[in-house]
Amino acid sequence: MKCRKCKALAAVALPSHNTAFCPDCYPVFVRSQVERAIHRHKMIAPDDRVLVAVSGGKDSLALTLLLHELGHDVHGLHVDLDIPGSSTDARAACEGFFAKLGLPLAVVELRREGLAIPLVKSRIKRPICSVCGKLKRHYFNKFALENGFSVLATGHNLDDEVSRLFANTVRWDASYLSDQGPVLPAADGFARKVKPMYRLTEFEIANFSFLRGIDHVIAGCPYSGRASFPVYKNLWSNLEERMHGAKVQFYENFLRDGRPVFAAWAEHREDPLSPCTVCGYPTSAEVCGVCRIRTMVAAESDTPGT
Amino acid sequence: MIHVRLEPQGRELRLPKACTALKLLRELGLGVNSALVIRDGELLTPDRRLNIGDEIVVRTVASRG
Ligand SMILES: [Zn+2]
Ligand SMILES: [Zn+2]
Repeated sequence: MKCRKCKALAAVALPSHNTAFCPDCYPVFVRSQVERAIHRHKMIAPDDRVLVAVSGGKDSLALTLLLHELGHDVHGLHVDLDIPGSSTDARAACEGFFAKLGLPLAVVELRREGLAIPLVKSRIKRPICSVCGKLKRHYFNKFALENGFSVLATGHNLDDEVSRLFANTVRWDASYLSDQGPVLPAADGFARKVKPMYRLTEFEIANFSFLRGIDHVIAGCPYSGRASFPVYKNLWSNLEERMHGAKVQFYENFLRDGRPVFAAWAEHREDPLSPCTVCGYPTSAEVCGVCRIRTMVAAESDTPGT
Repeated sequence: MIHVRLEPQGRELRLPKACTALKLLRELGLGVNSALVIRDGELLTPDRRLNIGDEIVVRTVASRG
């Protein structure tokens, strides 16, 4: 196969775009996809201070590099989950990467918050992945607001977005379907959230990370074995193999035709947000999810023998 | 022999004769968009030929949360 742009020997074939690129032209293609997403959805203005949520995986580190190269004012935040055999490597990958680029990185340690994930896992019956996700989102948002960032960017890719959208569609979860998308505008107590890599698949980002020599962690989280997303991801990669472009069509057409319908529906029944009575963060309940987790962890520690 | 190393699992296997990167992926039960095929630090598209004596890394594409 030959590169579409310069006719050199191709390194990456992209059936869904019906094309291939050489090692020099491929990163340019990836950057243009991100640039287009930012532009089309007005994700980041030139004077925005951008906080990137980094896990140490290829997606969030690639996003950092791309936003930096596109000239944005980029800072990183890593939430150290304190998971043995995983968190040390993840944190080191983030720290090494940011040091190499000369960009600032902050770290929130859940251990210091009394919420180290192994402790939370041992005390709470709910699936740990959803609790962990909730905690991470809470601290990313809190840090962004308290430190004057106008945008919070995450490395979610097309596969993440499609599998989440599909999971919500399988359940016809209308309230999630009403506000899923690559941009969540700032609201009372919530930073503006953007996903500049939503048009790129995991495969496309993996190729980019390899070609740009991004040193990321490869091993997954030891707790993520029973999450339902991998099932949907496999299903969609099989579908994509047979129907090139199915993923991006499913997602883009939802944004264009589906989401507005659910958004209109949601306007009539959305529970109004009010400040959490414990920490002040916006919530639809009296006490926010993170404070409820905190209480459960604390209550369990007082019970002997658990 | 072609030496193949699977990442991140770390499994190793050998193929007795030359084939393409696509054939190798099929043999491993992988789709063309689910793994990188790497030889000497170079990415190979599915049509590329693998020869006896090659050392190949197949790195499955999976993200962490
Ligand atoms: Zn080229
Ligand atoms: Zn609270």
